[in-house]
Amino acid sequence: MIFILLVVIFFLLRIIPGDPVLAILGGKAPLEVIEQKRHEMGLDKPIIVQFFDYLKDVFTGDLGTSTLTNRPVIEELKDRFPATLELTIFAFIIALLIGLFWGAESAWRKDEPLDIGARVYSVLLYSVPVFWFGLILQLIFASYLRWLPVGGRIPAVTSFKVRTGLYVLDAIMSGDWKGLLEVLRYLALPSITLGMVTSSIFLRMVRNNTVLILSKDLVKAARARGLKKRVVLYGHAVKNAFVPIFTIIGMEFASLLAGAILTETTFSWPGIGSYLVMKIRYRDFPAIQGTIIFFGLFIVVISIIIDIVNALVDPRVRY
Amino acid sequence: MARDKKFVSERIGDFARDLFGSGTGRLTLIGSFIMIFYVILAIFAPYIAPYDPIERVGLSLEPPSKDFWFGTDNLGRDILSRVIYGSRIALSISFLGVAVAFIIGVPLGLISGYVGGWLDRVLTLIMDAMYVFPGLILAIAIAAVLGPGIVNISISIAVVYAPTYFRVIRNQVAAVKDEMYVEAAKAVGAKRWEIILKYIFPNVLPSVVVVLSMNLADALMTEAGLSFLGLGIAPPTPDWGFDLNSGQRFVLSRAWWGIVFPGLAIVFAALGFSIFSEGINELLNPTIRERR
Repeated sequence: MIFILLVVIFFLLRIIPGDPVLAILGGKAPLEVIEQKRHEMGLDKPIIVQFFDYLKDVFTGDLGTSTLTNRPVIEELKDRFPATLELTIFAFIIALLIGLFWGAESAWRKDEPLDIGARVYSVLLYSVPVFWFGLILQLIFASYLRWLPVGGRIPAVTSFKVRTGLYVLDAIMSGDWKGLLEVLRYLALPSITLGMVTSSIFLRMVRNNTVLILSKDLVKAARARGLKKRVVLYGHAVKNAFVPIFTIIGMEFASLLAGAILTETTFSWPGIGSYLVMKIRYRDFPAIQGTIIFFGLFIVVISIIIDIVNALVDPRVRY
Repeated sequence: MARDKKFVSERIGDFARDLFGSGTGRLTLIGSFIMIFYVILAIFAPYIAPYDPIERVGLSLEPPSKDFWFGTDNLGRDILSRVIYGSRIALSISFLGVAVAFIIGVPLGLISGYVGGWLDRVLTLIMDAMYVFPGLILAIAIAAVLGPGIVNISISIAVVYAPTYFRVIRNQVAAVKDEMYVEAAKAVGAKRWEIILKYIFPNVLPSVVVVLSMNLADALMTEAGLSFLGLGIAPPTPDWGFDLNSGQRFVLSRAWWGIVFPGLAIVFAALGFSIFSEGINELLNPTIRERR
């Protein structure tokens, strides 16, 4: 799987018209310079040789050197990855919380205002481009109300020691509660934006699956035993509705990552998404290719993890 | 390996059906009204728009007023006119992108499904790999190399959606290629390309028509995303995504009109297209829901 993805990326970036050497040097470079650069980048070798060089590089963790900063791409990605990870984790938690609780309550009170509200929310949020939603939140909370910062991740210097790069974790580990609050203030808008847009899918899945389970005998039995609503709904119904939801979570992760690129750009969040956009602006091809490969690997790893967890949660998947 | 991916429009369609019940007829009607509205907007933009979209016609960042219903942007251009003209880019890229995806995906799917063997294996693997990759990231990669322009952006979008056509067609072809009528055609001595084009293609075509209409909303959203990232059309051509990008710089000046209106244009177009395709889907193919 990973291999195929690498092959596709390699050939896609070479089939496409346009010469990367010319793109780097600009159209007016003298011929010798162009030839030399081509040699430097190994682009004068036969395509098969290029391909194996590329595979060797990727597997040894060498994603090339940025033509802009002259730093290894993998190093730059390492610096930026925690920001993206932090954003996606928090967005994910928000999406899951909204989806789980609102979805379960809607299923319990089917066709009541709360449920209809959930459906309107889903339609609207799913038709909204994530970056536009982010801009609207910026307008309201950063520009008009001035409650939260417009963008960025942290003011100039961190008051705590950076260990993992996940600032929330770092702040907690240093016991710096003021710093934590500051980090969360910056994190709030981007993660709420991405989380709410993603939540509409979870919301619908949870609601519809729970409605289905609620009509089953196991729920009747639970209610007949006189269990409280909370226990029946979350302990029995939602728990049983969770398997299909889990599969969806795996599929949504890829689109969450794509959404993260747009969200990061909206909020100038210094993650991999905004890194990619910046590199595109400067036509830094090794960096672009490296980032795309990184995204690909990341998605493959996550889907494997989710498949494994899925198999642990639901014995029926383990065939 | 490759899980089934859902289109944006299918999702919106699902949501819309939850909301309105199964009034598919009504949904299709509303959707087609919105779609026709946008098409008219795009075709007759010069007559509808009050100003030239790329000329300075007022002061910078004027709020909405009687003269400028949607206000002006930082260069004093009328946002209403830019939103109206923006529909041209949005529609032409989504239609062209979907068309190119169709032209790439369908023939490959036909050949792969009919011929089978190692060619089929290889093509399926490649297409699956592209299919599981998030569409936007793939489109970004290609658009980054190709550079801006209507055709280039359409190609980037097409590469994202071609695997969908390929998969649908390939699986359909593989399913029907042993049917009686194909055998019959072989028996009367039809050539390979004749069998593919005359016998198989018409039989698998209906399944893609639905995909075609569903792709439109996705293509529209992808285009908006690309141009928001600055990968779309070169300025000063009016484009919703890019206008949002420039509007963003004035968030702190509270110039809400530069952000709200282009965004609403995208949202309504995406909603309308999705509802329309979902309606079409059910009208054309009442059984497709169960099969999926």
